Amino acid sequence: MEQLIILENEIKELRKTLKEKELEMERVRRELFDAQPEYRDLNNGLPASANGPEPMVKCGQLPKWAIERYSRQILLRDIGVKGQTRICEAKVLIVGAGGLGCPAAMYLAAAGVGEIGIIDYDVVELTNIHRQILHFEQDENTSKAESAAATLRSINSRIKITPYNVQLDSKNALDIARAYDLILDCTDNVPTRYLLSDLSCLSKRPLISGSALKMEGQLTVYGYRSDTHSTEKGVTFRGPCYRCVFPTPPPPDAVGSCSAHGVAGPVPGVIGTLQAMEALKYILDMSPQKLLVERMFIFDAEDMVAKTVRLRKRNPMCAACSDSPTITHLVDYEAYCSAPANDKDLDLKILPQNNRISAPEVSQLLKQKEPVYMVDVRADSEFHMCHIVGANNWPIDGLSGDALEQLLRCVEKNPSSVIFICRRGNDSQLAAKKVLDMLPEEHRHKVKDMIGGLHAWAFKVDNDFPVY
Amino acid sequence: MAEPIHLTLLFAGGAELLFDRVKRRDVVLPDLKDYLPDCGSEKWTVRQLVLWIREFLLKEREALFLQGDEVRPGILVLINDEDWELCGTMDYELQNKDSVMFISTLHGSTSVTSRIELYTP
Ligand SMILES: [Zn+2]
Repeated sequence: MEQLIILENEIKELRKTLKEKELEMERVRRELFDAQPEYRDLNNGLPASANGPEPMVKCGQLPKWAIERYSRQILLRDIGVKGQTRICEAKVLIVGAGGLGCPAAMYLAAAGVGEIGIIDYDVVELTNIHRQILHFEQDENTSKAESAAATLRSINSRIKITPYNVQLDSKNALDIARAYDLILDCTDNVPTRYLLSDLSCLSKRPLISGSALKMEGQLTVYGYRSDTHSTEKGVTFRGPCYRCVFPTPPPPDAVGSCSAHGVAGPVPGVIGTLQAMEALKYILDMSPQKLLVERMFIFDAEDMVAKTVRLRKRNPMCAACSDSPTITHLVDYEAYCSAPANDKDLDLKILPQNNRISAPEVSQLLKQKEPVYMVDVRADSEFHMCHIVGANNWPIDGLSGDALEQLLRCVEKNPSSVIFICRRGNDSQLAAKKVLDMLPEEHRHKVKDMIGGLHAWAFKVDNDFPVY
Repeated sequence: MAEPIHLTLLFAGGAELLFDRVKRRDVVLPDLKDYLPDCGSEKWTVRQLVLWIREFLLKEREALFLQGDEVRPGILVLINDEDWELCGTMDYELQNKDSVMFISTLHGSTSVTSRIELYTP
């Protein structure tokens, strides 16, 4: 045991040193190459024909190291030396260093994409690691953008990686996007999708959009435009933007929620990987008929069915991508969609103070053997993962009709407090409110919502309770 | 009497949660004159189909499927794997053996779920 602790500490120290050295190397590398932009990585190692003897071999436009390193893809007819040169000169912005962004960035870095920007405001949590494969256990609580960049650098030191440890918003988006040729949407919420689509239209960068949830994934290319591929009439080919397909945001269904949805790691793995594939195909200037332009790839891992469906064409009247757009600058997308672009700070307060109770107070009641009745409103899969002993599962999704009636009778019969519980204390308030609205006055005082939910329970009462 | 119309209905991207989690249903539509004698249409279109689905298949949270008589924003309708915008949306005349898919866009969040119908500020 003692030896183990010594080893753990030694490794920690070594990692720290390693990180410092890596950062130093990155700094030195940048000084070397950024000072001479015409001498970028690509030329590093090219035979110096100007001064030296004539080279004996011809490697096309690529130096020896690049030919060797990327040979297995250069051999493809669709890539070749010309294609690899395009890849090495491409600049890709990846928004989100999560389940989609990690595999996408990994393949693009490995393929030799010259510059990769990766944006994420969040920090690495252990619950991320099953799908966010650029982050390791030792990265817990560090910036996702930095952590992703560090791994990408160790995959390919010949390319430039720029981490952006910020939340993309309407103020910073255009400046960041202008430095890149195309954008990958690897995010997970509606407001950011509209932001990225408008950004794609305004900055004229195509948007390769992926999403994954539970066992399903979707992928398509929005805002495609190309000068080399034109329609039969000789006009530049342009594909639909996100707004052409989804002109109206869905109802603000993220309001007041705190349920956790699962996702099977390989699903964003598949979609993120295919986002990288589409990005490479775009960089190679393959025709829009071969890209997912006006098409959407739909993947269902449960039934293992994948299909590509046909999407509508670009709407010539679209608010964002038409020739006379009404959207001419980025707006406040959280307000536009009436939903937060992240759910970190969501803290609902819809119940009166006397219908709320703290986690330690609940614990006290339980210790005093009060006949409290605990109503855990999470989904049954969450309930089965962990719950407070004695709690009863009334999933909020089924809380209507007969089930709601039964719960009302339950509250009326119970002589003591009825505690509503969920993961973070938002859903439980919604459920409690639903019950309160239908409960006769004399029973209402019994309804209590546990403030902060099971997260608060884990932090304030029982540290052994899993935080997920 | 018109030939009966056999359809394959597909629900995906979370839309299946509103339909008892069943992702695929093979259905036979009744004679439109019997189902909606006053609808003013001779033939089944998607407009009548969504009403029929609401009446016979939808299990909960109607607001997450329809807004009024329109399909909720965020749900993409595909007829034979083609965006319904390409074939007339609500006015598409259903044919025997068509497949109609209702697919919700995945927001991809692992921590947010749909609750709007519960939240009345
Ligand atoms: Zn558009």
